[in-house]
Amino acid sequence: MIDLAISFWEWLPQWIQILAENILYIVIIMVPLMLSVAYVTYAERKIIGYMQVRIGPNRVGPRGWLQPIADAVKLMFKEIIIPTSSNRYLFLLAPMLTMAPALAAWAVIPFADGVQLADVNAGLLYIIAMTSMGVYGVIIAGWASNSKYAMMGALRSAAQVVAYEIAMGFALVGVLMAGGSLNLGDIIDKQAGGFFNWFWLPLLPLVAVYFISGVAETNRAPFDVAEGESEIVAGFHVDYSGMAFAVFFLAEYANIIMIAALTSLLFFGGWMSPFASWADVPLLGDGFHWFLLKTMFFIYMFLWIRATYPRYRYDQIMRLGWKVFIPVTIVWIFVEAVMAVMQIGPWAV
Amino acid sequence: MLENYLPVLIFMCMGLIVGLVMIVLGGFILAPRKPDAEKNSPYECGFEAFEDARLKFDIRYYLVAILFIIFDLEIAFLFPWAIVLDDIGLFGIVAMGIFLGILVIGFIYEWKKGALEWE
Amino acid sequence: MSFTEGVFYAFSAIMIMAALGVITARNPVHSALSLVLTFFATSAIWMLLEAEFLAITLVLVYVGAVMVLFLFVVMMLDINITRMREGFMRYVPFGIVIALILVVQMVMIVGPENFGLEQFAEPARHVADHSNTKELGRVLYTDYVYPFEIAAVILLVAIVAAISLTMRRRPETKYQTPGKQVMVKKEDRLRVVSMKAEEKEK
Repeated sequence: MIDLAISFWEWLPQWIQILAENILYIVIIMVPLMLSVAYVTYAERKIIGYMQVRIGPNRVGPRGWLQPIADAVKLMFKEIIIPTSSNRYLFLLAPMLTMAPALAAWAVIPFADGVQLADVNAGLLYIIAMTSMGVYGVIIAGWASNSKYAMMGALRSAAQVVAYEIAMGFALVGVLMAGGSLNLGDIIDKQAGGFFNWFWLPLLPLVAVYFISGVAETNRAPFDVAEGESEIVAGFHVDYSGMAFAVFFLAEYANIIMIAALTSLLFFGGWMSPFASWADVPLLGDGFHWFLLKTMFFIYMFLWIRATYPRYRYDQIMRLGWKVFIPVTIVWIFVEAVMAVMQIGPWAV
Repeated sequence: MLENYLPVLIFMCMGLIVGLVMIVLGGFILAPRKPDAEKNSPYECGFEAFEDARLKFDIRYYLVAILFIIFDLEIAFLFPWAIVLDDIGLFGIVAMGIFLGILVIGFIYEWKKGALEWE
Repeated sequence: MSFTEGVFYAFSAIMIMAALGVITARNPVHSALSLVLTFFATSAIWMLLEAEFLAITLVLVYVGAVMVLFLFVVMMLDINITRMREGFMRYVPFGIVIALILVVQMVMIVGPENFGLEQFAEPARHVADHSNTKELGRVLYTDYVYPFEIAAVILLVAIVAAISLTMRRRPETKYQTPGKQVMVKKEDRLRVVSMKAEEKEK
């Protein structure tokens, strides 16, 4: 039986083999990602629940563990309402356009030493390009649904995402200077040598700028004026229901996980263990579990921030993005460049 | 080099396909479709929609978009500079210093003009 | 036909279809979105030329930034489509003449006699970890530093022009300066007045 399968495999033309192999790897990345998205929503409700001295979902399955599954099944069987005045093709295209870049960015993430789907040179640039495309889904959704709330939400969201993308880009320039490469694997290799060799220390202001911009970029609280339940009801996806809404939701959480993963890759050593000298002790050496742990920590930070801070006003958001983050990052890029060339401190390369 | 980008291309296609499948499956196969005029009207707190939602809006949003393009270009110029800084050394810093200096003048100008103010 | 060639033809076809969509779509938003698709397909073709930095920057700058502005403009201006189409027939002859001139110019310059394999040797394929970005960076900030600085000046002009064209300061708007709000002292807001106690009415 196995012989038969092997001979069948070899009989297939080469391009089908390559295609099948790649699709298999993509499924291996995508399925756990989708599952984590489902359980991040559960974690969010549970953690924020405990922070507010509530219990959170606890009815479906033991301790509410099946809650996300129940949500998914419910959304799947709900009607997608397409408003009559909307532009129906664009209305349905918008969620797909949000989803595709949110997933495609995962193609270049290194999960452990050498475990990476596509080891491209311009990995980081590719991720930024993909993130910058996420804004289309929002604008098109807002315009296509032809509702005032959706339109306002889309506008606010677009202007905000755009402002923070610049701060994010400048922060990443700092990482590139320290890492000397656009390749994510190389950037992590540069951080070898334990906790104090990771980039968070020499790039401390940029870590803060990057992470906060990440929170703003994904339209999460306290920067969630694009959704603003209490003023514009849900922003750009007010007219979406059923699976079309679920796709937006999935993309938003996939982006959150992405930002958390990137923070841990770029500033906190990715799969590197914080204890460089104990590499021989099992579980304390480098490995995928460290990457997972760090990413989980930053996802937790997202939820923690949401539970802690009240929503910013729109002018405050724009002020923070343009007038605080951009000057801070420009100054730090300069400090870092001069230090690196003069070979001073931890910036010497 | 191209062989590295093949999985990326396949991944993008897969992303689109997953989105499409989910919407088609959820919206048109599993879910009911019972449209009626009230349900399909755009949401406006239960009122009839007053006017077309595609209204003109504050010109400030255009300004933000234009400034964003300019700064995005700046970032595109900074990226190759950041990764070859070791090779080009002090000369590179001076070159980028002038470049960023000129643009910081523009940034100060927009700040002083109040282009970054929102009320 | 190799696999690469197949990808090239697929993306070229997408690009040409999308470009046709840009000029034939009735709805301006549809044509802006077709332009996005055109850029995307172009970027894929640049990638086939191993220009990875330029290909991804095309997506980052044009798709991620320039087209966002286009969409903003196109979505919110209420363009009267029927009125725009009125003059169509009148301008058709001009349009065709200009298009023909452009095509002839392009054929004259971008023909195989100028850019064919006889003029340029086929560039060698690079190894998998060749960094196109590094190559670019090494020459851009040293050999081409003068054009690079000119780019900065052009961007500065763009900033100033954008602001002077679109900035409208409205006198009635109120601003907040968080710096001032934070710096407020008790003395600025509060005045302690010593008053004589009132005598109790008899």
